[in-house]
Amino acid sequence: MEIARPLYWNIGAIGMINYILALAAILILVYALYDRIRLWRHGKAAIRFDQAAERIKGVVLYVVGHWRILKDTYPGIMHALIFWGFALLFIGTGLEAFDHYSGLHFLHGTAYITFSFILELAGLAIVLGVLMAAWRRYVTRPSRLDNKPDDLWALLLLFCVVVTGFLVEAARLAALNVPVNAPWERWSFVGWFLSPLFAGGSQAAVLTWHKGIWWVHVVLSYVFIAAIVYTRLLHIITTFISTYTRNLKQAAVNAIEKMEEAETFGVNKLEEFTWVDLMQLDACTRCGRCQDSCPAHLTDKPLNPKQVIQDLKAHLNEMAPVWAQKKTGAAAEQPPEVEAKAVSGGVIADDASWSCTTCGACTTQCPVFIEPWPKLIELRRYMALMESRFPAEVQVAFRNMENNSNPWGIGSATRGDWAAELGVKTLAESPDPEYLLYVGCAGSFDELNKKVSTAVVKILQAAGVSFGILGAEEGCCGDSARKLGNEYLFQMMAQQNIEVMKGYNVKKIITLCPHGYNTLKNEYPQFGGEFAVYHYTEIIAQLIAQRRVTLSKRQNLKVAYHDSCYLGRHNGVYNPPRQILRAIPGVKLVEMKRNKERGFCCGAGGGRMWMEEHLGTRINHARIEDVVQTNPQVVGTACPFCYTMLVDGIKEKELQERYRASDIAELVLAAMDKGKA
Amino acid sequence: MAAIWVYAEHKDGKIKKVAFEILSEAKALAGKSGGPLCAVLIGSGVEGMAAALGSYGAQKVYCVEAADLGAYTTGGYTKALCDLVQQEKPAIVLFGASINGKDLSARVAGRLGVGLATDCTGIGLDDKGRLQVRRPMYAGKVYADVVFSDAAPQMASVRPNVLTLAAPDESRKPEVVKVAAAVKSDDTMVALKEVVKTGGEKVDLTEANIIVSGGRGMKGPEGFQILEELAGVLGGVVGASRAAVDAGWRPQSDQVGQSGKVVTPNLYVACGISGSIQHLAGMGTSKMIVAVNKDPEAPIFKKADYGVVDDLFKIVPAFTQEVKKLQ
Repeated sequence: MEIARPLYWNIGAIGMINYILALAAILILVYALYDRIRLWRHGKAAIRFDQAAERIKGVVLYVVGHWRILKDTYPGIMHALIFWGFALLFIGTGLEAFDHYSGLHFLHGTAYITFSFILELAGLAIVLGVLMAAWRRYVTRPSRLDNKPDDLWALLLLFCVVVTGFLVEAARLAALNVPVNAPWERWSFVGWFLSPLFAGGSQAAVLTWHKGIWWVHVVLSYVFIAAIVYTRLLHIITTFISTYTRNLKQAAVNAIEKMEEAETFGVNKLEEFTWVDLMQLDACTRCGRCQDSCPAHLTDKPLNPKQVIQDLKAHLNEMAPVWAQKKTGAAAEQPPEVEAKAVSGGVIADDASWSCTTCGACTTQCPVFIEPWPKLIELRRYMALMESRFPAEVQVAFRNMENNSNPWGIGSATRGDWAAELGVKTLAESPDPEYLLYVGCAGSFDELNKKVSTAVVKILQAAGVSFGILGAEEGCCGDSARKLGNEYLFQMMAQQNIEVMKGYNVKKIITLCPHGYNTLKNEYPQFGGEFAVYHYTEIIAQLIAQRRVTLSKRQNLKVAYHDSCYLGRHNGVYNPPRQILRAIPGVKLVEMKRNKERGFCCGAGGGRMWMEEHLGTRINHARIEDVVQTNPQVVGTACPFCYTMLVDGIKEKELQERYRASDIAELVLAAMDKGKA
Repeated sequence: MAAIWVYAEHKDGKIKKVAFEILSEAKALAGKSGGPLCAVLIGSGVEGMAAALGSYGAQKVYCVEAADLGAYTTGGYTKALCDLVQQEKPAIVLFGASINGKDLSARVAGRLGVGLATDCTGIGLDDKGRLQVRRPMYAGKVYADVVFSDAAPQMASVRPNVLTLAAPDESRKPEVVKVAAAVKSDDTMVALKEVVKTGGEKVDLTEANIIVSGGRGMKGPEGFQILEELAGVLGGVVGASRAAVDAGWRPQSDQVGQSGKVVTPNLYVACGISGSIQHLAGMGTSKMIVAVNKDPEAPIFKKADYGVVDDLFKIVPAFTQEVKKLQ
């Protein structure tokens, strides 16, 4: 007997029905998928097919390589087992068909044994993965999972397909009398291990069993394929699409183009989202990683990114018949309320939209690159620009930004006053320095943060860096306005700043505030403002490395660095602040449990700085609990918003005796040899 | 000479202070122009308030009354005032830029087809005897002095708490002219069913002349007792910083600051408030700021006209006693 596996062994010609079933299953899959694609296409256009190489790299890394999924160990391994097992079986089945019909017959001998052994492992991996999933979902039940019948069906189906596969093999091996006729089949170790199950019966009975289970296996496999689009299994397909079409410029909010001509702004109807937004709804498997890292959700606010996606998906599904009916003119299946439903305020509650700090944890955690927070920005845009519907405090901030180009409404003419004693020249006084120091609102007006701008200036001066400021000509970067949905105000301020900067022929910019950093670096290019933008921590880290700044005074401090979302998660600047702290003699750098990519927001991003926090508990208090757990002496920050929130949090928790917050620039200045400075 | 009119807004049987403020300064205008200074009271049963208007300088008080004018309605009051203006033809009509004053002045100007200078901070006459008002523009960065080319009447609304209130002279009695307004329920367009009040009886912070505010330094809700006492003797109201509101010591409606109320009293006393920029954004334009804080580094001292670095629990009661002695 040849060392190979005869196809349709014991099944005979009737097994060809298999192909009819396959065709049927694939037709159902294709049609159902086409139906979903048609739904997505109700959304607006989006440019998500550029930079193909980068996108393919992402698919390899994140889908095939599971790079993000594995960051959460148990569910990561669980999913990897299922995914890779499934992938191998899929490829294996294809190979076998190819082997058979191409006439090449390469799967025999050692090749067959290896092939068979690998598929054995793959099947086992799926069983193990499914059991791990069931254990997690139904026994340990982490709060981020909500169980629906859909989840159970998917797991059962997967489990049964693989187990019946093993049983078919076991029955075949039992009938073959492996030790005598096919000793190599011992490598099909799972089937071999299970074959004694069939030992009791006659040869005829075993063959009948084999035939029966074979058909069950085949039918279940096709049920699986046909069911993909109708169940959570849909993510098998959408994950590839959502990863390929992922946002490669995540730190920049989409610009509303040609604001003067647009008739509506933001999103109030599903069709006002892009097709990518709608497709992403079908990529969500409700894994809940987003909610586990969402500062709003974790402090009991009425926002849960997973729920946002699920609510939008439910609305997409109820809108499907409405759209279909509009096309065909058939009688309405859905009550008129469905179509009339507003997305902002109806499907998604206003409080949910306004609770977002745009910290980006949801988008960073999502294994399939779904973007909850940018969708909320679209809802805010609708509320702010179309209906002037926003919390009363936001009105004050908007008006102040309009009138004085800062959210506090302090006279814009006094913007440069903080630097009066420091000998800093404005670009008007002394043009063409190497860098423009873009100070931002907090560094210009807030007493606490003026100390930081002063420290940065002194450090730069000591290092002999050539720089200047804009003084009263500087304007608010507009980050808060944009994140609060007031795109109009943002674009106005952005254009003004760009004009001024270009007027002075600015090439390189150092920013004090991570929000300004992100806005200037990632968003101003949308309006023609192309500058080389650095955060001050990047520059100071470089100056220390070049020994242009020497830190000689011992500090003897245990410092925990709090990552600003806009420096860290949105821009990947995790190391320069840490390098600086490590360079200060005597500073012991410690990490809080949530750090870097998983850093926890201070609560002030997304314009929340200007809003009251009445719902749930305080985000900055939750962060202070992290501080208490790590127990440093100083919490280091590099963001004026974080600085303010941490100072307030420490005061509110009455922990001033134990901890203090400090900007890194202040720590650097304290450690510098003043003689040289 | 043509008359200068001041619309006298009232609530719960009391004239709003802004009407007295306008009368106090309009006296000088009337003196220059030679026309009589009149006040207009609209409502039902308003005659009792006429004397008070007289004591601030109104020579003549029109009491425009009708059964349907019992409560303020835009439609009813507009008709009553327009009818009277068209009949008497005053040269100048001034309003307080309160919520109702802004509403009424805009509607009356529209109905009469004349211009309106809103939210003014100064009133006077130019050398041709025309009304000249000062209006802040660009959020107070510049002032514009505005005159009317040929409006009849010339109309303006004046911001409360800006003009200087003169001492009333009880001996002056105004001439009271009773006018029966031809206002029917059709003119009011809306019917007032009920007034539902929120908060307490106290004066709204944004209208208060004197505010005594407390922050985290008050250490608890009971700490505010001494502020209540001080506010009581000064005739002011109590406000709070966000820290005190967040801690649950004071209601949200007391909050002064960026995300609370923006206030501009004549006197703002900040006790135990460090003066974060958010707080300063809400009270920085107060006329006089007094700060009491233990921490000499507190940013509030940069904004304060007078500062006391000491324990507020010592200072505030002592200060309250001193004020009492003076009274």
